[in-house]
Amino acid sequence: MKLHRIKALFLRHLYPLRRDFDLLSDMLYWPLIDTLLWGITSQWLAETSGEANVALSILMALLMWNIIWRAQSEISRNLIDEIWNNNLVNLFSTPLMVREWLVSVMALSVIKMTFTLTIITTVIVGMWQANLLFFGWWLLPFIAAMVTTGWWIGFISAGIILRFGPKMQTVVWTLPGALLPFSAVFFPLERFPETLQIVSRMVPTTYIFETMRALAAGGAINWQALLFSFGFNFLYLALAIWYFVRSMRYSVKLGLGRFN
Amino acid sequence: MKKSPLIVQHLTKVFPPEKKGGDPFTAINDISFELKAGQILGLLGPNGAGKSTTISMLLGVLSPTKGSIQYFGQDFAKNKSGALQHVTFASTYIKMPWRLTVWENLKVYGTLYDVQGKVFDQRMERFLQFFGVWDQRHKTMNMLSAGQTTRIMLAKAFLPYPKIVLLDEPTASLDPDIAHQVRKFVKMQRQEYGVSILYTSHNMAEVTDVCDEVMFLKKGQIVAIDDPLSLARSVKTTRMRLLVKDGLKRIVKFAKAQNLPVSIDDREAIIKIDEQKIAQFLAKLAEENISYSQIAIDKPTLEDYFLQMSQES
Repeated sequence: MKLHRIKALFLRHLYPLRRDFDLLSDMLYWPLIDTLLWGITSQWLAETSGEANVALSILMALLMWNIIWRAQSEISRNLIDEIWNNNLVNLFSTPLMVREWLVSVMALSVIKMTFTLTIITTVIVGMWQANLLFFGWWLLPFIAAMVTTGWWIGFISAGIILRFGPKMQTVVWTLPGALLPFSAVFFPLERFPETLQIVSRMVPTTYIFETMRALAAGGAINWQALLFSFGFNFLYLALAIWYFVRSMRYSVKLGLGRFN
Repeated sequence: MKKSPLIVQHLTKVFPPEKKGGDPFTAINDISFELKAGQILGLLGPNGAGKSTTISMLLGVLSPTKGSIQYFGQDFAKNKSGALQHVTFASTYIKMPWRLTVWENLKVYGTLYDVQGKVFDQRMERFLQFFGVWDQRHKTMNMLSAGQTTRIMLAKAFLPYPKIVLLDEPTASLDPDIAHQVRKFVKMQRQEYGVSILYTSHNMAEVTDVCDEVMFLKKGQIVAIDDPLSLARSVKTTRMRLLVKDGLKRIVKFAKAQNLPVSIDDREAIIKIDEQKIAQFLAKLAEENISYSQIAIDKPTLEDYFLQMSQES
């Protein structure tokens, strides 16, 4: 693993930010629109229901979902960007190793996510005076769990694209969307039909959102839930990386040139 | 004796069938060759011969079904990253990210090979000045013409002091003067740094000019490896051009009677004939009282060899 090669990939994906509105809108525009929309909606819900913690729960859910979205998007979108630019052969005919690519896109996702998070947190706190620090240090494991979820979704999407080609590029946007309802992001798990709850319990983010809602309602930390979340997350991340590497090998068997 | 930096042995690539029940496709069938230190080896063949497949395998972006590739005495499959530190490529058909400027793109590639700082700046200025694209360095790639892009790709390939460069039709989209500059550059790099180069091109005059040796691929197999002139000389048929004032039709009739391919260009009869049979043919023409005012005999070129090999089934 060479640091200069990871730096090269950082340059590759940070340079376009200077002039690409597509990328900036992903990082800034849509998260801000979401924040405004859900911020006002949650405020209205809190006022009409009389439950102040509804607003906090919804705003935190929004913040956390943005972390997943950004983390996954950096991985699968960076791969699709190389395909759109006919650059896959260029890149993988250099000394760059697959594991260096993996590390660099994971690190890039954290950098870009931090940027997005800083902006929307400022807006949330500034406009609705939401006390996001209410969760204290628990925010750190919550964020770590969300980032890990984003990574494994990203690696699965990227693996699918490598295996089946750009015709499957829609998974970059649809796969995280499919997980959204099962994660109990905006409503409690018990509101779900029982059979679907089984699926939800296999999704690591469900435990985090449930814990956050419990904390916001004045409850205590559920250690078992956190353990389940991290257990599932690490298992899925390992499987997703395995699938990505396998898809890369499959793709090299057919030739990366087929993406040109 | 110095060991060749690239040794390919029994390389084979079989692609799986595209549809269930279909047949697998053998793109490369048991080829072996060496690229010697400081050599420029031409890789020729008609479309579908397997040139791109070979280059892809040499770059590690396509895995071989069988056989081995050795770079600098080491198995490429086991030391891909280490080998590719010294092996680069440029192709007319591969692009670079269009949202990055020329300079940014080259910076990314320089950093990948750990060519950074002043070394990078000096080397890039030298290359971009040489290729006449220095003024384009702050333009994004989508603003460049095909010819300018090709020159940037060449700068990318020679940036990290490579020991081996694979060039896939490096002059395909260039004007003759720029193509000449590229050939000059390639020869200069070989002379100054002893770079070994694998060179594909559809311009046979260029291959004859640049390459020390030529390897001819056909249907995934090597059918010949030799120097360009020897390959050209192996073509027995020459083109004899007879300028005829009167009696063009008689000449055509006579050539056809001798089973010789003949075509007409204005007042010229162009006859394809074995060099050794020319004297006999001209004597017979004289016997038949068929006269011509001028005669020219075109020696076979590498292009004739290419055409002959491509047409043979």
